Amino acid sequence: MKELRLANKIVTTQIKDRIHYPGRLVADTLANIGRCGILLLLYWYVFNLREGTIQNTTFLLVAWSMFFYFAFSVLRLRDIGKTIMEDVRSGTVEILLNKPISYILYRAWWQLGGGLYSFLVIGIIGTILLTTLIGIPDTMMNLTFALSLAAVFILGIVLSLILYSIVGMLAFWIEEIRPIFWMVDKSVMILGGSYLPIALFPDIMYKLAIWSPFGASQFVTHTMYPSWTREWYSFVGIQLFWIAILGMFTYFLFQKAKQKLSVNGG
Amino acid sequence: MISVIREIRFAWYATIKNIQSSAELRASFLMNVVGMAINNTSFTLLWILFTQSVGNINGWAPKDIVGLVGFGTLCFGLVFSIGDGIRKLPEYVSSGSFDRFMLSPKNLLLRIATSSFNASTLGDVVFGIICLTLYGFLTDASGLQIALMFLLIIFTTLTFLGVAIAANSLSFLFVDARAVVEGTFDLFLTTSLFHGGAFQGFLRFFFILIIPALLVGTLPVEILKELSWIKLILTGALSMGWFILSIKIFEKGVRKYESANFITFGV
Repeated sequence: MKELRLANKIVTTQIKDRIHYPGRLVADTLANIGRCGILLLLYWYVFNLREGTIQNTTFLLVAWSMFFYFAFSVLRLRDIGKTIMEDVRSGTVEILLNKPISYILYRAWWQLGGGLYSFLVIGIIGTILLTTLIGIPDTMMNLTFALSLAAVFILGIVLSLILYSIVGMLAFWIEEIRPIFWMVDKSVMILGGSYLPIALFPDIMYKLAIWSPFGASQFVTHTMYPSWTREWYSFVGIQLFWIAILGMFTYFLFQKAKQKLSVNGG
Repeated sequence: MISVIREIRFAWYATIKNIQSSAELRASFLMNVVGMAINNTSFTLLWILFTQSVGNINGWAPKDIVGLVGFGTLCFGLVFSIGDGIRKLPEYVSSGSFDRFMLSPKNLLLRIATSSFNASTLGDVVFGIICLTLYGFLTDASGLQIALMFLLIIFTTLTFLGVAIAANSLSFLFVDARAVVEGTFDLFLTTSLFHGGAFQGFLRFFFILIIPALLVGTLPVEILKELSWIKLILTGALSMGWFILSIKIFEKGVRKYESANFITFGV
C-alpha cells in the first residue's frame, strides 16, 4: 500500500511539473510531426504509387501501426537508462539508495510520470486526427482489440523499463554506456516497426521482432493487423516470459551493482 | 585577412585540444566512435529494407540510400565534431554562462562552437566517409562525379551548419528554449535522413526551401545520379544563403541577449 501511495505521489508530481513547464510537450509534438507525420505522408505517397496495397497490407493499417509506435515512444521510457547512468556518475544513486524506497521502482515511476502528460495529449490529438483523416480499421472496432491493446501496452511499458534499466545499471561497471544504449535502442526501433512497419518486414526479421525482447516491448504496433485477434494471447505470453526472465536478471544485477558501488566522499 | 587566418588557427587548435582531451579516456573514446558508426547502420538498414519491400521509388534504389546516409552522417559529424558547442547554446544562454564567451577577444560564434566536443561525432565522420566511398564504388562513379561529391560535401556541411546555428539561435528568443530548439532541429535532421525518392510535390518544395532537409542528402544524391547542373546551382545557392542568414540570425539574437547574474568561469 505504501509503495502504491509513493508511486501515485511520484507520478502526480511529475505530471504537474510537465503541465507547468510545457517545454517538453512542445519538443515531443515537433518531434512527432517530424518523424511520424512526415513518415505517414511518405507512406501515403508510396502506397498510392503501388495502387493502395503493398505485401497485402493497406496504408490504413500501416499508418495506425506507426502511429502507435511513435505515441508509445513519447512516454520516453528509454530515458531511464540515461537517468540511472547520471545517478551513478553524479553520486545521486548513493542518496537514493539510502532512502527507504526501492531505487529501481522509484526511477521507473519517475520516468513513467514524466512522459504520461505528453503521451496523453499527443495520443488523443493524434488519434482524433488519424480517425478524421484516414478512418479506423475494422480490426480496431471490437472488444478483444481494446482489451488486448491495454494488456500489451502495460506489459510493453514494464518490459521497456526493465530493458533500459539493465542498460543503465551497466554504468556501475562501465564508464560509458551510451554505445550500448544506442545498440539496444536501435534494435527496439528497428524491430518495433518504427520507420518500417512490421507488415513489411522480411520473414527472418518478423520472427526476430516476435521472439526478441526488443520487438516484444513494442507489440502495440501489431494490434491492428487482422491476425491479431487469433494470436494476441501468444504475444502476451511472450511479453510475460521476457518480463519474468529479464526481471529476475535485473534483480540480480541490481544486487551485484549495490556491492560494486563505491562512494567517494568530498 | 590576417584576422580570419588567426581565427581559423584558433579553431583548429581548440578542436585538436578537444580531441586530445577526449581521447585521454581511451576506451570510452573508442566505444563512442565505434558505437555511433554501428548506430548509424540502423538507418541505412531500415531504408534499404524499405526499398526492398516497396520497390524503387522515383528511380531511388537501395544503393542511393547508402549515398543519402553518407552525406547526412558526414556533414553531421563534420559540423558537430568541430562545433559541438553550437548545440550547447540554449544551455549557455539559459544558465548565463554565455557571458564568458562574450568577454573573449576571439570570434564569438567560433569560440562557442569550439567550446565542446563529443567523441561520437567522429564515428559519424568515419561512417559517412565509408558510406560515400561505398556509394562511389556501387555507382561506378566517374572522375567528374567524385569531384562533384567533394563539392557537395562542402555545400551540405554549410547547409547543416547554417541550420544548426539558426535553430540554436532561437535560444535568444525564448526563456527556456531547449525544447523548442531540440524539436525544430529534430524536424530538420530526421527528415534529412528519410528516403529521398518519396518526397514529391509540396513536400519536396517545403523541405527544400522552408526547412532545407533535402539539401543535405536527397538533392546531392540526385545531382550525382543525374549530373543536374540546375540542382547543383540551387543547392549551392541555398547552402550559401542559409549560412549567411544563420550568421545574421545569430548576430541579431546576441543583441537581444541580457546578461544573467550567474557567475561562471571558463578557460
